[in-house]
Amino acid sequence: MTSLLEMSGICKSFDGFQAINNLSLNIGEPELRAVIGPNGAGKTTFMDIITGKTKPDRGTILFGEENRSLIGMSESQIATLGIGRKFQKPTVFEGQTVRENLAMALKNPRGPFAVLFYRKSDTGAAQIDEIADQINLTAHLTRPAGELSHGQKQWLEIGMLLAQSPRLLLVDEPAAGMTAQEREHTTDILKVAAQTRAVIVVEHDMEFVRRLNCKVTVLHEGSVLAEGTLDHVTKNPTVVDVYLGRSDAGH
Amino acid sequence: MRRSFIARNPSVLYFLAALALFTAIVTILSEATGTGLISTSFVKTLGKTLCLCLVAIAMDVVWGYCGILSLGHFAFFGIGGYAIGMWLMYARTELIVIESLAGQVIPPTPQEISDAIGNQIFGVVGTSEFPALWAFADNLYVQLAFVVLVPGLLALVFGWLAFRSRVTGVYLSILTQAMTLALALYLFQNDSGLRGNNGLSGLQNIPGFADSGQDVVSIVFFLASAAALGLGYLLFAWITDSKLGNIIQAIRDDESRVRFLGYHVESYKLFVFTVTAIVAGIAGALYYPQAGIINPAEVAPIASIYLAVWVAIGGRGRLYGAVIGAALVSLLSSWFTGGGAPNIDLGFYEVQWVDWWLVLLGLTFVLVTLFAPNGIGGLFDRLVRKS
Repeated sequence: MTSLLEMSGICKSFDGFQAINNLSLNIGEPELRAVIGPNGAGKTTFMDIITGKTKPDRGTILFGEENRSLIGMSESQIATLGIGRKFQKPTVFEGQTVRENLAMALKNPRGPFAVLFYRKSDTGAAQIDEIADQINLTAHLTRPAGELSHGQKQWLEIGMLLAQSPRLLLVDEPAAGMTAQEREHTTDILKVAAQTRAVIVVEHDMEFVRRLNCKVTVLHEGSVLAEGTLDHVTKNPTVVDVYLGRSDAGH
Repeated sequence: MRRSFIARNPSVLYFLAALALFTAIVTILSEATGTGLISTSFVKTLGKTLCLCLVAIAMDVVWGYCGILSLGHFAFFGIGGYAIGMWLMYARTELIVIESLAGQVIPPTPQEISDAIGNQIFGVVGTSEFPALWAFADNLYVQLAFVVLVPGLLALVFGWLAFRSRVTGVYLSILTQAMTLALALYLFQNDSGLRGNNGLSGLQNIPGFADSGQDVVSIVFFLASAAALGLGYLLFAWITDSKLGNIIQAIRDDESRVRFLGYHVESYKLFVFTVTAIVAGIAGALYYPQAGIINPAEVAPIASIYLAVWVAIGGRGRLYGAVIGAALVSLLSSWFTGGGAPNIDLGFYEVQWVDWWLVLLGLTFVLVTLFAPNGIGGLFDRLVRKS
């Protein structure tokens, strides 16, 4: 396992509120990592900073073998570098079909002219079929994405991430609003994805994190509070104090 | 299985067939080709309407598909008109001047001819000097190139500045209004070099076709407008059907999500903004020779707002919707305001359509927005789906 993403000394404040405070984190490739923390721990800001949506006040983020700095890059540059992000609220393009959604995400040239003259290829179609199979949406390829159920939209969005073939996948609360059965399938999708790439899952639901069975990072007030297996961190008295002790997570 | 372009977009075929049929009927009934059931002035109205349909489908692509509510596309339309108008006016004045000077005992020098042309064109604004803008007005090909290049470059520069700063939504609409207002105010100045509020006139007289009557000229422009609309429709249908069409619709629905997919959203917006501006310029260059006159009021902010109203009433996000909206509303508008519609005498008050047409249009717009958000095209779609 080699290191893929190195964040060190990241700070970010909004109007005096310290959202991220001297945060340092390393992710290997391949690796599955869960990031947990109470509300306001800075989980979303943490993702915003990696994906270029928010610029940190201080600190460095290095990505890949060439240790390229992500700070100052635009969202689209970071995305083409191989970092994909799934939002908390499923954001798929509802007016377009499942196939069109996946086709837009496929790893292909991203310039307007290349896209204008893009011709559908058999390899592209095969890739779409393969991903659709993984996310259980083969039967729904020609349906508008807006007609899908909430869980299916979540999968479609994960599928769109996979289609980008990113090296690092950031997944924000993938199991939110899913039925028990859907959660199980989501766990499988993420575990398979993490066999070949780095996957960071931000999650609230402890049961879901337990099922992922991976290393856990606990965020609190914008910095790393503890790191290790779920059992290890849940035994940590500070973690119990700030998070598990006073929240309803873990049911 | 992949299907052909036409199989995926049957409406393109229907539209082109309808356009061809319409063109054929008008040509047969026109004065130029014999029957004369349709007057020359009405042929011009129809030809102008086709140009308005062309700029409307451009508006539909930029707004209905890409979600950029540009309220400045009529500026590009006007620029196209001015570019071709300069040549038309110059070349025709040159012919007149040479003819009138030909009777002199001493042949006129080129300088005298040039001065006389300048006097003829710019006398109305108190000068006879040719402004720098007119450097190439004697060259049809350069002016034709300007029809495409000037709107294209203006859109490219304006769009680059606006999109790069991530100006979106209502702020972008206001910015585009400011652009067209600035252009109109500039053109209104007498020293703008484009004859101030007099504008360019006599554009219906095509140099080199002095022997052909307006009946022939009108049908030629009508056919050219129809061809341009057909080609423009094909171009935009192809663009919106391509993968780029998917991307721009995705940008309309959720711009930031598209960024995280790795697309440079600004380049896409710039592409769409520029291409549609160019098409708007071409539409304008075909429109104004049929209108005969162009003046700064044509690019007033309200014109671009009407354009958006046509597209909204016709139905955004479907090209034929824009055509329906533009044709219907602009023809109705000239019928109501041109005295075609009989005024209604209520006894205590007489509804005069010249004044009340705008109220009716505004009311229609509100009703369409409330009850048929997809416009007439949307109602049409529902009927097709039912059958």
